[in-house]
Amino acid sequence: MDNLASENLAWVVLFGHIAIIVAGGFITVLSESLVRALMGLILTLFGVAGLFFLMAAPFIGLMQILIYVGAVSVLIFFAIMLTNAWPGGDESGNISGKKVIFAALAAIAPAVFLGSAAIRTAPPSVFVPEETQVSELGKFLLEPYILPFELISLLLTVAMAGAVILGFERRKKK
Amino acid sequence: MIEPILILQMIEAIPIQLMIIFAGLLATVSFIGLNAILLVYLERKVAGFIHRRPGPYEVGPHGILQPFADGLKLVGKQIFTPTGADSFLYWLAPMISMAPALVCFLVIPFGPHLQIFNTNVGMVLILAFTGINVLALCIAGWTSQNKYSLLGAARDISQSVAYEIPLLLSILPIIFMTGTFNLFDIAMKQGSWPWQWFIVYQPLAFIIFFICALAETNRAPFDLPEAESELTAGFHTEYSGMGFALFFLSEYAYMVIAACVTAVLFLGGFHGPGVSGWWWFLAKVYILLLIMIWIRWTFPRVRFDQLLNICWKWLIPLAVINLLVTLLVIAL
Repeated sequence: MDNLASENLAWVVLFGHIAIIVAGGFITVLSESLVRALMGLILTLFGVAGLFFLMAAPFIGLMQILIYVGAVSVLIFFAIMLTNAWPGGDESGNISGKKVIFAALAAIAPAVFLGSAAIRTAPPSVFVPEETQVSELGKFLLEPYILPFELISLLLTVAMAGAVILGFERRKKK
Repeated sequence: MIEPILILQMIEAIPIQLMIIFAGLLATVSFIGLNAILLVYLERKVAGFIHRRPGPYEVGPHGILQPFADGLKLVGKQIFTPTGADSFLYWLAPMISMAPALVCFLVIPFGPHLQIFNTNVGMVLILAFTGINVLALCIAGWTSQNKYSLLGAARDISQSVAYEIPLLLSILPIIFMTGTFNLFDIAMKQGSWPWQWFIVYQPLAFIIFFICALAETNRAPFDLPEAESELTAGFHTEYSGMGFALFFLSEYAYMVIAACVTAVLFLGGFHGPGVSGWWWFLAKVYILLLIMIWIRWTFPRVRFDQLLNICWKWLIPLAVINLLVTLLVIAL
């Protein structure tokens, strides 16, 4: 009885998270105000962070909150504040049916491809997930996967240097 | 109709850890409330002392009932939404500001046996959840439909994003020295006597961390987002009643969190000469809070270019050098 109750609770928690993620996604796509759309995106990101917690990966979940909620969405907000976009803007007119169909297809396509790939190649799942220590995670990244790890950091450095150079060029023109 | 036995079984199915977290959140709420009452009184009394005036004196003996009078006034005020504002987001902002502060208190080790939730990623949890406050200030500034609020929010973003970097860089040496993100373990690695605390090994990191903590909590001299002489009240200009009170409460809550983290990382946490316990922790936290109040009433507000110059030209290079030297010493 006790086992059954906790299993039911686990399902409730899982589908609660999925409901939060899907609801956030719909708010993002359907809301007219850009800031409300961003709030939907943040709701989705929180839901994904919650899923990481469910899989006993609190470090990844917290990184999700720290980077995506604390940094990326704040920068998106900054961009929205600079554009001063209000709901009655240029793109708020009627949308043709063709566009809606294409948009729906474009939204479903990655979900189908990624979903099928994930289902086909998924490792056997465990009933009770085991928490990985942060130190093991670090060793994992720096020993077998050192090359992709360093490549990503190189990419970020290049992006940052490029942004700085672009900023300086803009200033010279003025 | 659900039978009472069924409800009991459902309650039993809830894991005990969840119950502990729930009880802990309730305790945290009351702790934040008590701290806010005490800090409001302290702030006004210290300000009075520094200005050579008595401070609040009328309500109760030596004005000790003044915070309660302030609270009652705030509760009784009319709730008012500016015209043209997105009222849902407008009232969501103070809640988003307050909620993460509650989570942060869950992982702080107040004493050897007084910690609600001991997790291996405590430090990361506090960093992640305190970062959400910026978002709340942005929403508040943007939805207020007011140029002062918007300016305050824009200032807050550039300030918080800039000061997050030296903050993280000044925490890293401690993480490298202890090899853990667990706040309880970090506290346990330090001894009872002041010369066994990490402030002795990392004085520069302590100074950088404290300056960044002041900037992240929007305390003077870094209170540009709410600079009252320039922006009326910055991002919370339009808020009245409990909306304003929630922002106020969360600011004090983040101050207490900053003081707690400083105490754990650099001042030995709950350790102290004699018997270690929560009394040492609270004493350290309150000394740090008094220093914060003292700084607020001593230094003038920095200008915006000075703010960014301090961060990018001084704090970040110094923090990087400190980190590299620490790494070198650890490697040797």
